[in-house]
Amino acid sequence: MFSLLAGLWRYLTSKTQVNVLILGLDDAGKTTLLEQMKGIFKKVPGIPPAKIPPTIGLNVAKMDIGGVSVTFWDVGGQVRLRALWERYYADAHALICVMDSADAARFEEAQLAFHAVREQAELHALPLLLLANKQDVAGACSGGDIAAQFDAHKVMGVPFRVHAVSALSGEGVNEGISWLIAKAREKTQGMT
Amino acid sequence: MGILLSKVFQAVFGSKEVRILILGLDNAGKTTILLRLQNEAEEDIQTIPTIGFNVETLQYKNIKFQVWDLGGQTSIRPYWRCYYPNTDAIIFVVDSADTERLGIAKQELAAMLEEEELKDAILLVFANKQDQPGSLKATQVSEALGLPELRSRQWTIQEASAVKGKGLFEGFDWLVTCIKGGNA
Repeated sequence: MFSLLAGLWRYLTSKTQVNVLILGLDDAGKTTLLEQMKGIFKKVPGIPPAKIPPTIGLNVAKMDIGGVSVTFWDVGGQVRLRALWERYYADAHALICVMDSADAARFEEAQLAFHAVREQAELHALPLLLLANKQDVAGACSGGDIAAQFDAHKVMGVPFRVHAVSALSGEGVNEGISWLIAKAREKTQGMT
Repeated sequence: MGILLSKVFQAVFGSKEVRILILGLDNAGKTTILLRLQNEAEEDIQTIPTIGFNVETLQYKNIKFQVWDLGGQTSIRPYWRCYYPNTDAIIFVVDSADTERLGIAKQELAAMLEEEELKDAILLVFANKQDQPGSLKATQVSEALGLPELRSRQWTIQEASAVKGKGLFEGFDWLVTCIKGGNA
């Protein structure tokens, strides 16, 4: 009887654990997003944006968002590092793709990378958030433009949203991330 | 080089005490890296193998470096634990040209990373000895060490040649930025 109650207690108090993989080209703003989220959700100051070095390897941050214990993996985006991405696919519960909305010269490269990621079998069912980042930069494409640019209508069968943000100022970050975590939570709870 | 590094550390950490472990198999280049930190000379550095009781402690400004040879020396290892608490970062030095022993280096690193008291330490890997012919590149070294399997640790890898003084500054710069975080 006691073990039953203890089990029930553990069940009721256990937090959902969610792993979120952050992908995107180099200089898209993935680490700036991560550091910004530390400020928003953990209330601890992140590394000042001007001091963030290019990621060669992995940045990790854990935080509570809407009662869910979330681990973010921010993997380096340089061409030679992209082979690393797939190593995290199997353990991810949700996916964030970060786009530099102001760098039209690299849209094609970003689009190819995005669709290559979308074709991965392990990622087919994962909630997906496409962040049209750098809205603070003059001349940045809007969220709608980015959605059109990346053939967002072809993404079907998963919770999917295109969200305009500025990782630098934090604008839009809370809304976009909270949506993704809520979807990821539904999904992981649906499985148990 | 030495001047630059000392300035970075001084400017960045202020009065906070920082603990850093420098680990790696013997002959990986750990001592040379430390000498680069202290020594302001530019010429090539010659070192002799560190022998004897291989736990070196080095106080540099407000940073405490612990330097250990991994591989062997199992009898004194239990004492290492005394140095684990409050470790901010681990610097793992690899001889990128010593491909035969990369497997051992991987095992030794994995064993260290399992230590509960080191779970919050960030990891900087120096793919050292890039000046040697046949040395592996950073991506190959990170594969060989199993770095892509890490799930809860912040890590980076930096190609370096400690004897030439190359790549060290970039690595240490990453270290100070990440340790310092937003506490400017």
